[in-house]
Amino acid sequence: MNTSTLLTDSSDPQVADAVVQLDAWRAVVMPSQEIARAIGHERGIRAVYVTAESPPTLREIVECAHAKGLPVIVGCKDDAARRRAIELRAEEWLRLPADAEEIAGRVRSAVMRQLPGDAPNGDRAERAEQAQMLYDFMTGLPTLPVMIERMRPQIKERGELVVVYFNFVRYSKIEEIYGWEKLDAVLETTAAGVKEFLDGHSMQASRVMVSYTNDDDFIFFHVPPPGEARASEQQITTLVGRLQEHVAQRIEVAHGEDIAALFEIYVGLARVYYNPKLRLERLIYRGIREAATAAKSVEERERARRVDDLRTSVRDRAVYVDYHPIVVTTTRQIFGYEALARGVMRSLRSPEVMFDVAAEADMIWELSRLCRSRAIEGIETRLGPGELLFINVDPHDFADPAFTEAEVKDPSRVVIEITERTAIKDYPKFRERLKAFRAQGYRFAVDDAGSGYAGLGSIANLEPDFIKLDISLINAIDSNFIKQNLVESMVKFANDHGAQVIAEGVERSEEFETVKALGVHLVQGFFLHRPITAPVSGVIAVSPKP
Amino acid sequence: MDTLPPILVVDDNHDNAEIIRQYLEVRGYPITVAYSGDEALAVFEQVKPALVLLDVMMPGRDGWETCRLMKAHPTLGRKVRIVMVTALDEWSDKREALQTGADDYVEKPFDLPKLATTVQRNLAMLSAAS
Repeated sequence: MNTSTLLTDSSDPQVADAVVQLDAWRAVVMPSQEIARAIGHERGIRAVYVTAESPPTLREIVECAHAKGLPVIVGCKDDAARRRAIELRAEEWLRLPADAEEIAGRVRSAVMRQLPGDAPNGDRAERAEQAQMLYDFMTGLPTLPVMIERMRPQIKERGELVVVYFNFVRYSKIEEIYGWEKLDAVLETTAAGVKEFLDGHSMQASRVMVSYTNDDDFIFFHVPPPGEARASEQQITTLVGRLQEHVAQRIEVAHGEDIAALFEIYVGLARVYYNPKLRLERLIYRGIREAATAAKSVEERERARRVDDLRTSVRDRAVYVDYHPIVVTTTRQIFGYEALARGVMRSLRSPEVMFDVAAEADMIWELSRLCRSRAIEGIETRLGPGELLFINVDPHDFADPAFTEAEVKDPSRVVIEITERTAIKDYPKFRERLKAFRAQGYRFAVDDAGSGYAGLGSIANLEPDFIKLDISLINAIDSNFIKQNLVESMVKFANDHGAQVIAEGVERSEEFETVKALGVHLVQGFFLHRPITAPVSGVIAVSPKP
Repeated sequence: MDTLPPILVVDDNHDNAEIIRQYLEVRGYPITVAYSGDEALAVFEQVKPALVLLDVMMPGRDGWETCRLMKAHPTLGRKVRIVMVTALDEWSDKREALQTGADDYVEKPFDLPKLATTVQRNLAMLSAAS
């Protein structure tokens, strides 16, 4: 077997040990000044390891080595040396003193980088950029340019390709409500679920998946394997149905039912036929656009069906209410409940979806009225003594003539939540209305506070009694000090204005402890209670988790 | 021997970088300094820093972009703590910082003891996670 030589100017015994660790290597040690020359005639050199400090010597060595296609590893005593090594585009550098293992590892990876076919050793930052563009870092899936190259021979051979486009329609909603970190996590689960499903499936051999970097749509290429009939549309539709079920399950386990309710895929298909006159890339891009359009039309059909569902639901008053407890942070006593209206029909289970559909069907007021009256029933049936009912009211609802301050018998039991996310157009008029409600004893909460860039000013405008922090600020707050700082300033603001802060979406004990330490007054979230679908009458038994 | 986790200090102002380096090195942290966002990204994979002190105002790739790219690194991105070196006065500044994935910030000009506390509390999060 041929022995590889590591040419070096280092007499450090660790280098000798490192060479032992590398398989079939030997070290040739000589003074720094002689190395450049030795590169020319010494035989069997695979890599050069230098510790020379003199910049001209180092430069000469690196240049000679690169001229011969040899990788260089630089041992650096300080940052200045390291900077020089990077400037000279050495394949690897390490910090001295280094042990044998480190040296061996660097030599190995430097040699790997120098393998034929590898681009000339460019800037590493640039390389990192490329790596990230080719593989989506969130899902680990290859992106389009990579996939097209990989599939080219198969497509040529088979002559056709099926493009399947998955459009996850409500994912943007998840991001809007829970913040980008949550959607990242959901996408990760989705990709894992999709991979898991396809791995166990017969289409596995021919399938490949692609996603745009950091986007939330997936593309799936299917090239029928040689000798097999192509999959029919029917087969693919069935496959997708089962896939959807599988992924939905994974998401529910990992992220809870509220998020799983927002999981919906619309699928579009397109076939691409190979034509040597046309560039394959363009053919594929065209196929993707076609598949995306097809997915869109499926979505539209589905929407129309939902609008029908909603009309039926409103007519039959088929809406029920979940009550999500809000507790006092320090005592964990129930303070009140937020009423969450849900459709009885499965397609309208998620309140977000239901109201989206209502907006489309121009039925917001009807739906709001129904949800409000359902929620208000809970004052009699669900509230214990002294407990409050929080109901969500869209700022537009205040323009509804049917929504009046006389709606409730005892307004002092009701807190109206107004989301910060909806822009309020006519501020003076809006405040006038609030005033009328307030005079009757209603209280107000700003929902999703701090979700935007607006900050505290817009909150002060509404003079709320409660400030409900946006969920994205609570998610992983225990490990993010910027979020803690934001919440702290919100608590201070609330204390100065006689309001109380509610942290929504508290799911872990660490999050609970953090918001407690920050002085947040009230807490709502799965860590303490899940929403309760209570029996129609009687008191709800609620026991905090141990 | 070094048992403290490695820190990467990124600042285009050599004097600032030097001040931070000396202050933290005395406290036993292995420090690597980079003078630009590009340089920081170039050494990122090798240094594998537990924490990055990242100046925001730098020519070329600024601190925000560098932060975003580091946090997007397939293996190191999840683990690294990034502390932005900048004053975040407004609510919107902080919101923007969250958008890049930053974990914490320290204001300039430095209050060095405060810097040390910030470093410690972020490294504490790391050991809590592992």
